[in-house]
Amino acid sequence: MQRDYYDLIWGGILALLGLGVAAYAVAHYDFGSLRRMGPGFFPVLLGIGLAGLGTIIAVPAFGRTTEARAFAWPETIGVIGSLLLFGLLLNRLGLMGSTAITVLVASSVAPRKGILWRLVLTVVVTALVWVLFVLGLDMSIPVWPQGY
Amino acid sequence: MTTLEGLAQGLNVALDPSVLIYSLFGALLGTLVGVLPGIGAMAAITLLLPITYYISSQAALVMLAAVYYGAQYGGAVASILLRLPGTPQSAVTTLDGYPMAQQGRAGVALFTAMISSFAGSMLGIVILVMLAGWLSDLATSFGAAEYTAMMVMGLVAASTVGTGRPAKALAMVVLGVILGCVGTDVNSGVQRFTFGQVQLLDGINLVALAMGLFGLAEVIGNIRKAERHGPPAKVSLRQLIPTRDDVRHLFAPITRGTLLGSFFGALPGTGSTISSFLSYALERKVSRNPERFGHGAIEGIAGPESANNSASITAFVPTLTLGIPGDPIMALMLGALVIHGIQPGPMMLQDHPNMFWGLVVSFGIGNLFLLILNLPLIGIWVSMLRIPFRWLYPAIIVFVCLGVYSVRGATFDIVMVAGIGAIGYALAVAAFSPALLLLGFVLGPLIETNMRRALLISRGDAMIFIERPIACGFVIATVLLLAVPLVKRIRTR
Amino acid sequence: MIRRNLRPHLMATSLVAGVLMSTAAMAQDWPSQPLHVFVGFPAGSSPDTIARLVADPLADALGQPVVVENKPGAGGVIGVQQMLAKGADGYNFGININGPMTTAPRLIKDLGYDPATDIAPIGLIATSPLVLAVSSEFEAATADEFIAAARDEPEAISYGSVGAGSGAHLTAELFSDAADVQLFHIPFQSYAEVTTSILGGEIDSGFMAPSAALPHVQAGTMKMLGITSLEPFAQVPDVPVLAGHAGLPDDFRAELWNALFAPAGTDPAIITRLHTELDTILNTPEVQEKMLAMGWQVQPGTPSDLADRITQDTAMWGGVIDAIDQGN
Repeated sequence: MQRDYYDLIWGGILALLGLGVAAYAVAHYDFGSLRRMGPGFFPVLLGIGLAGLGTIIAVPAFGRTTEARAFAWPETIGVIGSLLLFGLLLNRLGLMGSTAITVLVASSVAPRKGILWRLVLTVVVTALVWVLFVLGLDMSIPVWPQGY
Repeated sequence: MTTLEGLAQGLNVALDPSVLIYSLFGALLGTLVGVLPGIGAMAAITLLLPITYYISSQAALVMLAAVYYGAQYGGAVASILLRLPGTPQSAVTTLDGYPMAQQGRAGVALFTAMISSFAGSMLGIVILVMLAGWLSDLATSFGAAEYTAMMVMGLVAASTVGTGRPAKALAMVVLGVILGCVGTDVNSGVQRFTFGQVQLLDGINLVALAMGLFGLAEVIGNIRKAERHGPPAKVSLRQLIPTRDDVRHLFAPITRGTLLGSFFGALPGTGSTISSFLSYALERKVSRNPERFGHGAIEGIAGPESANNSASITAFVPTLTLGIPGDPIMALMLGALVIHGIQPGPMMLQDHPNMFWGLVVSFGIGNLFLLILNLPLIGIWVSMLRIPFRWLYPAIIVFVCLGVYSVRGATFDIVMVAGIGAIGYALAVAAFSPALLLLGFVLGPLIETNMRRALLISRGDAMIFIERPIACGFVIATVLLLAVPLVKRIRTR
Repeated sequence: MIRRNLRPHLMATSLVAGVLMSTAAMAQDWPSQPLHVFVGFPAGSSPDTIARLVADPLADALGQPVVVENKPGAGGVIGVQQMLAKGADGYNFGININGPMTTAPRLIKDLGYDPATDIAPIGLIATSPLVLAVSSEFEAATADEFIAAARDEPEAISYGSVGAGSGAHLTAELFSDAADVQLFHIPFQSYAEVTTSILGGEIDSGFMAPSAALPHVQAGTMKMLGITSLEPFAQVPDVPVLAGHAGLPDDFRAELWNALFAPAGTDPAIITRLHTELDTILNTPEVQEKMLAMGWQVQPGTPSDLADRITQDTAMWGGVIDAIDQGN
């Protein structure tokens, strides 16, 4: 058992986000009137609402305990990192290159040792992607590394 | 022409061998493409578009419609097995479908989804045939005030979809609506919360949001868990078939879902999303043990699946008679009609009865194909779960990237889905409901534009929501939805 | 993501391209690989269909595939940006509507390109006027009556557009300004929504594509009071032109258009060749019929015609946007 950190932190984040949204909208967008609601009308009200809800979530969590839930840090970093690599490399390395790198990086956080299965998986997935998306769907996407 | 004559003529068109073949081909392609997470009917239709210029207009439309439904059937597979919904409707299916798959009942979940989709479509066709005229009037009697009131009611009713504390549920809805504000404001043209990113002018990519919140969050949480538990035990064919008890549970949810779906489908734009969520909320409300929902309740699949399929049938009424496409895929089909010189509109039924009735009949035939095609495939899909998760998830990640990219060919969206995935996982660990965020995201902008439009039309008079009878009905329903539980709680104290 | 330093980068590539390759040699080998045409709208939309109608015969004429790349978003702007990001190598082109070439620099912050310096026009493809449509129950039967009614009571007559800053919105404002009336603007997202709202009696009028109004006119539920082209339009030949009527100036014209263009710095020989091929394609009756069925009138013209059109429209719509900004 531990203090309910998740609700505490998320309640806080949501409250701050709500305030931020409301403040940004007040500063940048016209609030308007009931007849002609401006682009700021909804964001301001929603931001204030979220700030209120965040507070309601966070405050009671101070005194409450809950069962501990682990946060999978390595997996989060591996998965998100592999996605980012795919997005950033796609236009340079093409579909084949970025798929291979993404699979290698993503599988690096799998709880199983060994390099061979990872290489096999990389080849299999890359081939599968080629068959499905290039051969099958003829997707408009750079396939091989680009010259420049 | 009577309805019966129309149907006879439609049967004639739909049973034409070339039309039949295109229908079968479309159903097959749609299913295969729909199974790929996030790659919806759009990708398949883009592929087929050049063909549609060269075949008859009937064959073209029948094929595209078959792709559309096929992708819905296929989409249920990715949602139930891997929790990878590409649309808000399939996100509802994951709520109970994925827990069932985790419990080793993936076969039953898939069977339920398919049989409910089929039944929903068929009943939807019956309703469409009987009420086509009424359904087409429905859309014109719904103005901005009616849409606003209806969607507020939908949002309030469906907010019970999530489990857990009300403040957390509500916070997700509000967060969803805020995310929905990102992009160009229709009413003023102002670019809101885009921070100089032109890629954000049309808002956050819905597929990226759905896949990040559901699929990626699940992948991250599951990598270590799956290794501990290992793949589910091998299931025999017999276990794929629902028990008699399961089937008994299906009739009422399918009927209720179809009625909801048929009504909301005729209202362009929101039909299928709102009816899926409402059907889920309704099933939970009428259930004798609502606590089962979210942990593998079969009604939680049957209701919404029949609702969204019947909604996509009746959605063809406004598409064809008013030229209002319900979604980008319908818009594509309209484009295919126009290329063949057929302008959708109120004269469609009179000028092109062949087209209209042929399409109606071919919906039925297409759905029959899909059922026959998909039932034997269930075994294959389920056996996919026997692949160790460490082999599966890197492929899922690549598929998610491609699914998101396929929407509009932007690598920006892949970077977005990475961020959404991280936030989605953090929200999931803290037991926030991603479904409600998605609901707020879809309905929020519609509520905002319609409410602002209604007030422009009434020149700022808020009475417009009370004076118009249909809008007033929804307002009363919303008040009741909020008041009844409150009164109940006070009484029990 | 948008490259903020797009322009210097482009100029550098085009300079290098110009120095390294002699024009003649390049034009002789061209095309040696598939051409890519970037369309700023999704598959099946009308700009996409127009692009595909042109791409097929173009591929036949050039002996190389012409790939239509749908990069939808921001009213066509994303398509232009993606084309520019690929550079002026003689294989990247764009087919897009007027917005990204004319009003986008005014309406979109951080656009990342300047139509005047970053784009090489090749040729106009087709134009579409807008019609002023009202419900058949609306009291005015002609544009004159409509204007008279609008003058009686400012802001009493409402009109629907497809969003703030859209062609329909700007056209209505241009019309209001020329006719010296005040109409009440209510934005929608699509023409279909506007027509439904007119039919439902929520709003009074709207400027819209002829093909959006036509089915309802045929069904007797709507009527078209005037059209914004200088000549009657073949799809709706009975609708009178607004120009010169009802006190509007003789040159009152507001049209949407689609055009083919390249990144600035593309080899002039390639542009001339493409313009010639486009001209041939647009003069085939089959292509003309298909475009007309979608509500577009083919409008072949030289690259400099297109450049003039861009300049004129940019000035005209810029004035309208100024007036709207001042009004608020």
